[in-house]
Amino acid sequence: MTTFAMPESIVLRWAQTPGMTELEPYRRAGGYEAARRVAAGELAPEAVIEALVASGLRGKGGAGFPTGQKWKFIPRQAPVTYVVVNGDEGEPCTFKDRTLLEGAPHLLIEGVLIAALTVGARKAYVYLRREFYRARRTLEAALEQARAAGLVGRGVFGSARDVEIVVHSGAGAYIAGEETALLESLEGRRALPRLRPPFPAQAGLYQRPTLLNNVETLCHVPVILTLGPERYKDYGPPALFSVSGHVVRPGVYEAPLGVKLRSLIFDYAGGLRPGRRFKAAFPGGSSSMPLVADHLDVPMDYDSLRVLGSMLGSAAVIVIDDSADMVEIIARTVEFYREESCGKCTPCREGTIWATQVLERILHGRGRPEDLALLEGIARGMTGTCFCPLGESVPPSLVASLRHFRDEYERYIAGATRGH
Amino acid sequence: MATDPAVRTVTLTIDGRAVTVPPGTTVYQAARAAGIEIPIFCYHDRMPPLGACRMCLVKVDRMGKLQTSCTLPAADGMVVSTTDPEVVAGQEAILEFLLINHPLDCPICDKGGECPLQDQTFRWGPGRSRFVEAKRDFAKPVSLGPVLTLDRERCILCWRCVRFGEIIAGDDALKGFERGFTSEINTPFTLPVESKFIGNTIAICPVGALTSRTYRFRARPWDNEPVPSTCTHCGLGCAVWFDVRGGEIVRTRAREAPAVNDIWLCDLGFFGHDYVASGERLTAPLVRRDGRLTQASWEEALDLVASRLRAARDRAPGRVAFLGGRRLSNEDALVAARLFGEVIGTPHRDHRVDAPPGGASLEVAWGLRAPLEEIARGDVFLLVGCDVTEEYPILWLRMKAAVDRGAALLLLHARRLEVRRHARWERLVRADRLAAETGALADALERGAAGPPPGLEAAVAAIAAGRRVHVVVGRFALDGPGGSAVLAAAVRIAEHSGGVLHVARGKGNDIGAQRFGLLPGAGGWPAPEILRRAAAGDLDVLYVAGSDPATAVTDRSAWDAARRGVGFLVVHEAFLSATAEAADVVLPSLVLPEKDGTVTNLEGRTLPLRAAVRGPGAARGDREIFSLIAARLGALFTYGTGDELFEALRAATPGVEAGAILPVAPVPARLAGDVPAGAVAAGAGGGSAELILATIDHLFTQGATTGRCRGITALAGAPHCLIHPDDAARLGVEPGALVELATGHGAVVLQARVTDVTAPGQVLLPRGFDAVSAYALVRWPHAVVAVTVRPLVAAAAGGAP
Ligand SMILES: Cc1cc2nc3c(=O)[nH]c(=O)nc-3n(C[C@H](O)[C@H](O)[C@H](O)COP(=O)(O)O)c2cc1C
Ligand code: SF4
Ligand code: SF4
Ligand code: FES
Repeated sequence: MTTFAMPESIVLRWAQTPGMTELEPYRRAGGYEAARRVAAGELAPEAVIEALVASGLRGKGGAGFPTGQKWKFIPRQAPVTYVVVNGDEGEPCTFKDRTLLEGAPHLLIEGVLIAALTVGARKAYVYLRREFYRARRTLEAALEQARAAGLVGRGVFGSARDVEIVVHSGAGAYIAGEETALLESLEGRRALPRLRPPFPAQAGLYQRPTLLNNVETLCHVPVILTLGPERYKDYGPPALFSVSGHVVRPGVYEAPLGVKLRSLIFDYAGGLRPGRRFKAAFPGGSSSMPLVADHLDVPMDYDSLRVLGSMLGSAAVIVIDDSADMVEIIARTVEFYREESCGKCTPCREGTIWATQVLERILHGRGRPEDLALLEGIARGMTGTCFCPLGESVPPSLVASLRHFRDEYERYIAGATRGH
Repeated sequence: MATDPAVRTVTLTIDGRAVTVPPGTTVYQAARAAGIEIPIFCYHDRMPPLGACRMCLVKVDRMGKLQTSCTLPAADGMVVSTTDPEVVAGQEAILEFLLINHPLDCPICDKGGECPLQDQTFRWGPGRSRFVEAKRDFAKPVSLGPVLTLDRERCILCWRCVRFGEIIAGDDALKGFERGFTSEINTPFTLPVESKFIGNTIAICPVGALTSRTYRFRARPWDNEPVPSTCTHCGLGCAVWFDVRGGEIVRTRAREAPAVNDIWLCDLGFFGHDYVASGERLTAPLVRRDGRLTQASWEEALDLVASRLRAARDRAPGRVAFLGGRRLSNEDALVAARLFGEVIGTPHRDHRVDAPPGGASLEVAWGLRAPLEEIARGDVFLLVGCDVTEEYPILWLRMKAAVDRGAALLLLHARRLEVRRHARWERLVRADRLAAETGALADALERGAAGPPPGLEAAVAAIAAGRRVHVVVGRFALDGPGGSAVLAAAVRIAEHSGGVLHVARGKGNDIGAQRFGLLPGAGGWPAPEILRRAAAGDLDVLYVAGSDPATAVTDRSAWDAARRGVGFLVVHEAFLSATAEAADVVLPSLVLPEKDGTVTNLEGRTLPLRAAVRGPGAARGDREIFSLIAARLGALFTYGTGDELFEALRAATPGVEAGAILPVAPVPARLAGDVPAGAVAAGAGGGSAELILATIDHLFTQGATTGRCRGITALAGAPHCLIHPDDAARLGVEPGALVELATGHGAVVLQARVTDVTAPGQVLLPRGFDAVSAYALVRWPHAVVAVTVRPLVAAAAGGAP
């Protein structure tokens, strides 16, 4: 075993350096310089967007949409434009946004300022997951400092530009992380996804053009402007992985995009517990299709994972070793989606309840041989028919488990059959 | 696949057929236009697509996933399949998902036979169920108020009912609660639903989840015979189907009429037919003998009426007067006008029984001055003393659509309207301030740049910017204190803004009565004057048809005096109304749903009536009765068929055509005669004159007809008055307590609703509750009187007052 040296981090380090929740240490370390340059007009909006395009930054919320392009979509002449920050971080086992919010709130505020100044928004909303009590306190305190220092509010950085930032906590629904449902919730309604088009860039919050980005995405922005897109790219470009499950050192790791799954598990996160064998891993949160041992050498980037039928998603790696019961894990996963289904569309609302009922029955020793085909049928019925990605993320995992771990299902069913 | 905006059409291929449609058409609409059926549940063509049920799946070349055709815009060159095996599998899957938790109680479900879920399961559904789990279990149907029942197990969560309230009615009556598979439609805390339009949700619910309590389990759709006719309640003349079974109207449904009600009705229309089949209908003529009304033959009754009319005519034709018309058809009105105008020769005829003397209602022709479709294109609506949802609900749906497109709704009334949350400007004033306030608005507009007085800015700005302004003056304004002043100011506002002034006045077929001769002839008296002359002994015969003056005349004492003063009172009635009880002869008549003919709506549009059912016993149509009397007076009206009568209508009034609008007379520029603005009659002796009493319109009432419709009676609730919280606190009136309202003229006891819907210093009393004679408290010429309110503590505690 060679010893592994973790590469230097350029984004996560802000959250890992003590004191960065305070304004002065953050500024001394070079913070808010990028935002000041944008406010002063030293960096024109076009230049900011160009830098983002050149950096290759893609959204960290799950969909991986190129950020520079998204910023370009915002009409520049609109009378009112909003910036909305997605801090809902509801994807199971994802905790990078919280780490950033709690450790480097000023980095996010700076990213929001740059976004607002670039797209011409005077108001930005940070939508936080209900349970982020500490993150909210930290962020509010940082906002207070920034406001007192004239960096947020009227005439930011002594310029003629106003940027107000409002923090809002959700009511505890995973679907509220989906961008259009988030907007509904922010407007005071039930978080149900909206039909697209129109996209938020055209008609978002209160039907106005809205730039909507994930917390982490916006935290990359000041880093890109400070280092320049080329040096930023030299770091990978970097991505924050939330590694959890059956590993020795779960946590958030900054690694270059395209790092091998094996390296994330065994180098960064300290490997599996002694005597355990790798069984499976969700590479991008519970919404991504789980991978098995054959896939350990897949590069953790958007395209490689898509080819396998999975996705990078929120880059939350959930590691499962051979002590786990795969039927139980899938049943628990589908149950999560059943609980979080917003209920708007038929296949997700009905498919998740039906699938969990069947899975529960199998787990309770009342499975029938035809249940496996039935589960596949339910999955097929949900595939490509759901309104939003929440429902669509159920079938791949269910189908993968039936393919790779069919024997585990069959053991339950055989037990049931014998019991009769 | 981009659509060039310059291109006027797009052509796509659906199932191998080229279909050309305008840009913006969805694939679903394009397929439908081409006669290709795609199953839907959530999509409804009066609302924007939602994409929730996922039933309308199609396959599109070069698009990976199946697409929902209801949300997908058609694009040039698109190749669509609705029959691809993948589509079939997708639709089967959706149906299976919908059915797993749907109870299989079709045999007892009201929707059976007209249920899209049943039909589509038959056509597209999987043959058998693979579902072996326990079905979703909700407590059986919940009652959401007097007319609506919701069976959540049957609900397929298509969201149509919710969106109807959000998009069409704007009342948010039903909402989604909970999430995922526990989602349900409901009201907050399962409280009775608050809506004037809830019947429409029953109509558009694609399953039997929403049912009406009046129709539930009454009939299977295929047993009903639908009869096309026109609703004659509010006066807008919505097209309806009366579903008839066993000689009885069991259900009213909307009939599509794009120019009038589109596909909607209000709940008065939906649930306002029970009275027709009431067991209290009059079935034989009644003649007063020895002071008591006793049954008589038609011969006897008609002979008596004819002889009294003849005697009066011989003395002087002007000693006969006719009152009524609201509940007559156009044909009835025409024949009545001929009988009284030509045969008897009296000019004293008036349908405006509920108009007070000197009020502006007597100065202008009633009716809208633009078609509903044009109103729907308006960009400013100023409602002065018109409570649109309580008076003309379907008019509101037109306005709501315009408001959603950016039109400004401006409200000036002595009560807050339920549509106020859609308003850009709202002004709540006491009834005695309405004229001054309307005048101030007109002044401010005319002054222009001078800067409007505080509070009027938004209204002035909206009207000044408006290009299609509609000013709607309602009964409350016309008949209230300073009615003429309100009307004059409204005329100025409409003129200044180049807009249209509407006189939102009249119910039932008032406009038809106005058009076909039930207005004073040369030298004739208007209704209040007829009553005054009757009281003074100047009349020998007062003849009433299509009206119940005893409850409609807004000063009860004026009616009572007229009754006492007139020698002979003849009444056509369906029920033993208060007027009939006091009559000398009562002739049992048919009600409008029992008649063939036409009516005229508030636009001046001629609309068809078709007899849905036969009348009870020996009851006869009004025009037949008039003809029989005319014959006895030596005049033979020979209208054979309904068609000949309609020809007579057209001959009498050129421009009358079936379905078409003949505009009502324009509003005169000069208006006269009124109680001085702000005048209030003195109050009851000793009481504080701080409080004034005014009567308001309610959609749901308990009158002679509405009181005999189960749904409407229940929706109307107990008779009540509205009192402002400040006044209630001062007077010690608890919400819901019984109070006594006393004026110098009379007193009533009813429930007090404490609400800021009314202005401070003003008690509002809904009219139309026959149990409480609101008009016993009023004395002409005043429409508004001082009132004292006395809480009846003992009654509130349960004891007798
Ligand atoms: C069911 C669902 C849940 C989501 N939850 C989150 C979330 O918690 N946080 C987030 O940033 N994005 C979430 N997303 C993705 C957002 O819709 C959106 O793509 C993202 O916030 C855009 O920001 P980005 O471009 O910076 O990634 C979710 C998407 C779906 C379909
Ligand atoms: S897939 Fe459908 S039910 Fe599920 S969360 Fe999305 S919209 Fe709601
Ligand atoms: S009650 Fe009827 S209309 Fe309403 S959501 Fe359910 S099925 Fe649809
Ligand atoms: S009809 Fe198209 S999704 Fe419901």
